[in-house]
Amino acid sequence: MVTERSEVATVTRPRIHIHGARKSFSERVVVDIDDLILGEHPIEGLIGPNGAGKTTLMRMIMHSTSLDEGKISLLPTGSKDDVPVVLSSMHPHKMAKHGVVKSNQVIMDFEKLTIWDSLLLSLTEARYEQPQRIFSESEVFAEHADEARKYLDLFEFADPFGHAESAGEKKLLDIVRCLLLKPRFLLLDEPTAGLPDELTERVMQVIRDLAATGTAVVIVEHDLNVIWNLSDKVHFMAEGSVILGGDPQEIREHSTVIAKYLGEGHV
Amino acid sequence: MNLDWLDAFLISGLFDIAMVTGLALLLHLQLGLARIANFGVVGFWGLGMYTYGVLYIQVDWTIADPWRFLICAAAGTIVAGLAGLLVGWLIADLDDDGVLVGTLGFATAVFILATTEQDLTGGAIGMGGLRFPFDVGSTKANESLWLLILVLLVAAILFYVARVHRSPYGRLLVALGDNEPLARSLGKATFRVKLGQFALGSAGMGLLGVMFGVMERFLETSNLGINLTLAAIVGLVVGGTARVWGPLVGVLFTVGLFDIVIQSYLPLPRSWYNQAIPVLREMAFGAALIIVLLYRPFGILGDMRRDKLMRRIHGD
Repeated sequence: MVTERSEVATVTRPRIHIHGARKSFSERVVVDIDDLILGEHPIEGLIGPNGAGKTTLMRMIMHSTSLDEGKISLLPTGSKDDVPVVLSSMHPHKMAKHGVVKSNQVIMDFEKLTIWDSLLLSLTEARYEQPQRIFSESEVFAEHADEARKYLDLFEFADPFGHAESAGEKKLLDIVRCLLLKPRFLLLDEPTAGLPDELTERVMQVIRDLAATGTAVVIVEHDLNVIWNLSDKVHFMAEGSVILGGDPQEIREHSTVIAKYLGEGHV
Repeated sequence: MNLDWLDAFLISGLFDIAMVTGLALLLHLQLGLARIANFGVVGFWGLGMYTYGVLYIQVDWTIADPWRFLICAAAGTIVAGLAGLLVGWLIADLDDDGVLVGTLGFATAVFILATTEQDLTGGAIGMGGLRFPFDVGSTKANESLWLLILVLLVAAILFYVARVHRSPYGRLLVALGDNEPLARSLGKATFRVKLGQFALGSAGMGLLGVMFGVMERFLETSNLGINLTLAAIVGLVVGGTARVWGPLVGVLFTVGLFDIVIQSYLPLPRSWYNQAIPVLREMAFGAALIIVLLYRPFGILGDMRRDKLMRRIHGD
C-alpha cells in the first residue's frame, strides 16, 4: 500500500529521522521535509526529477550542507548500548564513526593517492595516523590488506598500485572506500552512474549482501532498473518534499509519479 | 682531523644550507603534503630563537650549561609549537589566501615584538651574551661541532620526513591536502590533523631558530625579515614540493649555489658584498623560481610518485 509518509515496521537496523528539515538557496526552498524516517527497510530508493532535492537531502543528512532549520537524528537499533544521535549538529568527520557513510554523486577522488592508498586510508584507524607512528605502515597493511583485496579482486581494478584513471574506476573506488568503513547506514548517490552493466550488477550484489547483514541502505539513482531491482521501499521526492512512499511496483505505477517524473508508457 | 679547509665563511655558509634545508623539510610536510601554505616560517623560527635568547640571557640561572641550554632550547621549541597551535587554530579553515596572509601577519607580529620589546630583546640594537653549551677549544672548533650537531639534526628531520611518506600519517596528510572534504567524509578529523601538523612543524622551526641563535651568539631583528621564509619556499619549490629529497636538492641548488659557489669562488668585487650581493641573491632566487616553474612546474625532482612508493613497499 502506498503511504503518504513512512510506514512503521519492525526495526532492527539503524534509521534516520528527518524532522522539520528545511534548506533554501537564494530564497528558493530546495528541501522541506516535515517528518520522514529512512532505513525502516533494508534497501530504500529515493527517486524524483532533477532539482527535486534528493542530493541536497543526502548532503543535509551528512551535514556537508547545513540545515536552515529542523533536526536529523540517527535512531537506535534497539540494542541497549545504542542511543539516538543528532546528526545535524555533528562534525562531518564524526559521521563515519557512527556508521553513517555516503558515496558521492559527482566523482571525487584523491588525485595523488593510488588505489591501494585510497583503500588503506579508509581502513586505517586514527591510532595509526599519528605523527609519531612512522613505522606502522606494515602493521596496517598486514591487518587490513585482505579486506581491501576482496574488493580489488571483485571489481578488477586495472592497476591497484597505480591511480584510478577512468571515471568508472573512480566511481567504484568511491563506493569501495565507503564499504570499507563498515557502514551501518549507507547513503549511495547515483552509485552506478557511468558503470558498465556487468559492474553495475556486481555493485548491486554487494549492496544486497551488505543490507542482508543489517546495514540500512538508501540509494538515489536515475537508472530506475537499479531502483526497481534493489529497493524494498521507494520514496518519491518532488519540489523538495517526499510526497510518496511505498513498494517499488506501487510507486512506478502511481499516477503522481508518472505525471511528475516517469511519463506515460514507461513500464 | 685537519679542518684547515673549513674557514669561517664556509662554516657559516654550510650552516645556512643545513638550516634552510631543515626549514624546507618541515615546510614540505605542511605545504608539499598537507597543502598548508605557511608563509610565516621566519616567525616561528624567530620566536624559537628569541625565546631561547631571552631566557638564556635575562633569567638569573643557578644552573650551568648544558642544562641551561637544554631548558632554554626546549622552551624555545615549545613556545614556537604553541604559537603554531594558536596560529593554526586561526587559519586551519581558511582558504589558501587566508593562510598566506595569516602566517605572513604572524611573522610580522614577531618582528615587531622583537623590535619594540627592547628591555627583553635588545630591540634593533640586538642582544649579545649567548654562547655554545660546550667549549671544545677554539671558536672554529666550537662552531664546527655546532655545525655537525645541526647537520645531524637536519638528517634526523630528513629521516623522519622520509618515514612519514611511508606511513599512514603521511597518507593522511596527502589525502587532506588533496581533497579535505573527502578525507573528512571518511572519518578523518582533518582540522585536528592540520592543527597538529602545524604545531609540530612550527616547533621544529623554533628549534632551528634556537640552533641559529647559538651559532650567531647575537640576536638581531634584521634576521627576522622575509628572506629566510623565501629561501625555504624557493628551495622547496625548486627541488620539488612533494618529494622527500626536494628540499635538500632545491636548497643546494639555490642557497648552496649562491652562498657558497658564487660568493666564494666567483671573483666578485669586494664592494658588492655589503649592498649588492643580498639583492643579487634574492634576484637569483626569483629567477630560479621562475625558470623552474616554467619548465619543471613540479620542481627538479618532479611530482609525488605514490605509485612507485606503494609498489616498492607493498608490491610482490
